[in-house]
Amino acid sequence: MSAQAATGTYSPAAAAGDKRRERREELRRHLAEDADWPRADGRSFHDCRPAFMQTGPTTAASGSAYAEFGKTKVIVSVFGPRESKKAMMYSDVGRLNCNVSYTTFATPVRGQGADNKEYSSMLHKALEGAVMLHTFPKTTVDVFALVLESGGSDLPIIISCASLALADAGIMMYDLVTSVSVSCFGKNIIIDPTSDEEAWQDGSLVVAFMPARKEITQLTLTGEWSDSRITNAVELCMDACSKLSDILRDRLKDTATLTSE
Amino acid sequence: MDLDGGGVVTPGELLGNSLTLAAGRGAYADGRSVRASVTGHRRIVPPAPGSSDQRSTVEVVGHKAHGAVPQPGSVVIARVTKVMARMASADIMCVDSKAIKEKFTGMIRQQDVRATEIDKVDMYQSYRPGDIVRAVVLSLGDARAYYLSTVKNELGVVSAQSIAGGTLVPISWTEMQCDLTGQIEQRKVAKVE
Repeated sequence: MSAQAATGTYSPAAAAGDKRRERREELRRHLAEDADWPRADGRSFHDCRPAFMQTGPTTAASGSAYAEFGKTKVIVSVFGPRESKKAMMYSDVGRLNCNVSYTTFATPVRGQGADNKEYSSMLHKALEGAVMLHTFPKTTVDVFALVLESGGSDLPIIISCASLALADAGIMMYDLVTSVSVSCFGKNIIIDPTSDEEAWQDGSLVVAFMPARKEITQLTLTGEWSDSRITNAVELCMDACSKLSDILRDRLKDTATLTSE
Repeated sequence: MDLDGGGVVTPGELLGNSLTLAAGRGAYADGRSVRASVTGHRRIVPPAPGSSDQRSTVEVVGHKAHGAVPQPGSVVIARVTKVMARMASADIMCVDSKAIKEKFTGMIRQQDVRATEIDKVDMYQSYRPGDIVRAVVLSLGDARAYYLSTVKNELGVVSAQSIAGGTLVPISWTEMQCDLTGQIEQRKVAKVE
């Protein structure tokens, strides 16, 4: 021991990576099988994580919402309608400005907390069809999403949370937008994947849906899929979105009755 | 007007059929169905007697709406920030008697100050920075500002400070007098009832 310290060399314990490797192997073995195995958090394939949502965490904003799905925690603040930046061109309809950012401690590996451009534009695409932009001409509504902890299915949770925040701000909308993602593993489709499951998925599908109007505002498909399974997965997502929207509506009604009393 | 059970509705919820109901505030018609666009209490207003449309109007009211936004035709209260030879810029503070949360910039052009002799208007003799002005929104304007107009007797400066720091008291529709020094200053004065 002392000799090692003197020469200044060191060697990692042989078993350091074993545990992680074992877990991965186990997951792979599960995937190869067809059975409805229990997922890491005890859910079955078509179980979503329990959703906790609340309006009004940010008092300075016109409207805000907080969402917690398992480990994923998201806060969305909505500002405006307010004056567009001077550099913007004149426009007869309002603008929706979306920004998604991660805290430095959102991921297990400490990150930069930088803006996520891809998610920002996808959030914008998912919401713009649902917001009545013509009701606030020339002005901008800012939607700022902050991911406090990333635990998988971040984008769909951001989208659902943002639509709750927009409704809380009193922005006119055609309908609420809820979003759910599924992952494809071999022959199986699992809903609301965690980050571990997302890391091992063969393909993913994100659907943003207006449940009352039964219209899809955004659909993102990646990876390997077969025709029949896409149909299956989309229907599964749409059904989950409808059920998620009931939770959103309950939250809005809670706050609406509270303020009127 | 009657509260329809005091039911709270959320965006997208079905309010009724467009054959029997017309969409009012906070609601919209989508094909055959009338749906809510904001969260609030649903209210049904019977049709005005003698109107051609015999449908009741459904409204969604009561919950907080987003902050007021200037619309063409709305009367605003603004504070003058900058006076130039051909225009004055002003920050809008109130829209239709409602204070606004977010700042909006307005602009009063030389031709929109008064109704007569519009080409002889001297901006410096009409407004000064710091004046509180009542104006009407002419149009959404350009990318920078809303166009405001004070072409009416009841529109113009409603409150101002003199150079000496006293309050200016209106004495005619073009002049105001300082209550400390008695000095007369030129303004486009609003006729306040």
